Amino acid sequence: MIPSDHFTRFYNEVFKFLELQGEESLKEYWLEISKNQEKHTLELFREKGLRGMYEYWDHIRIEENCDLDLKLENEKLELRMNVCPSLSKVLDNDAKPMKRYCDHCAGWIGPIMDKVGYHLVYDVIDRTKPQCVVKIFKDKQEALEEEKNAKLLMRWPGKEK
Amino acid sequence: MNKQTLNQRLRYSDKGNVHMDFHGATNTTIEFIIKKYGVETMNDIFKKVGNEVYMDIKQHIKSGNIKMLAKHWQYFFDRENAEYSITFKDDEIILIVKRCTAYEHVKKLVGDVSPNFCDQTIKTNEAIADGTPYEITTEILGEASCKQIIRKRL
Repeated sequence: MIPSDHFTRFYNEVFKFLELQGEESLKEYWLEISKNQEKHTLELFREKGLRGMYEYWDHIRIEENCDLDLKLENEKLELRMNVCPSLSKVLDNDAKPMKRYCDHCAGWIGPIMDKVGYHLVYDVIDRTKPQCVVKIFKDKQEALEEEKNAKLLMRWPGKEK
Repeated sequence: MNKQTLNQRLRYSDKGNVHMDFHGATNTTIEFIIKKYGVETMNDIFKKVGNEVYMDIKQHIKSGNIKMLAKHWQYFFDRENAEYSITFKDDEIILIVKRCTAYEHVKKLVGDVSPNFCDQTIKTNEAIADGTPYEITTEILGEASCKQIIRKRL
């Protein structure tokens, strides 16, 4: 068994292999993971909207030992990851980290947000540091405005520009 | 087994809560990679995990300290609340997993577990032992159950 505690280091090896195959291979894999994550999220997000997203990430915050601040507003959910355990483990690793490790997160969350009709603004800030800011909006125009403030904006399959 | 005998210091000793759903993502990954690239590619990725991620365990085994692997088994099977036993013999350690909670969790999540799910154990173990005086064998005893042995190569 690769312990669940070490999953992200296994994930990192999968990303490195897929990156060598090309960008489309990575995107295809993120979409597969996104479909897997639908089991845990889709119904909750559709039924409860931003409140459901807050519940999901609050559960993740505890179970994955994240240093994460969540802020729920009427029209927006903000996740401020102060210390991301996933990238932290990949950096604390005897194997080399994939340089674009952070990209997978938008790669699976983005397509789910597209499906449920919300608008994701994913600012990784700096791929070498285990921190990011995720904002999810009801209103598309507000999301587009917020994108202008991002330091390192992530895209995902279906949102290339 | 006397747990006090295993005072090895692990390279990775995670603490806090355990997110068992990661095993579901491992299962999805195994199915995706095998379907698109074949089982040999999946095995090559597990070999990289064994050789690089677990480089520290490999180095300890190379120098004869096979208790480091036993400590790894004990630490992470305890964290995942599995049922298992570890037996020490002369230059041989036997792990029997009676109830693998990773397998059980995936079965609960998706119903059908990939027939290659346990390759993560078999192939990673082989890679950890590769190039050392020891071999690690993995025998599947049944659903969610296996026997892993590290012993001197003949």
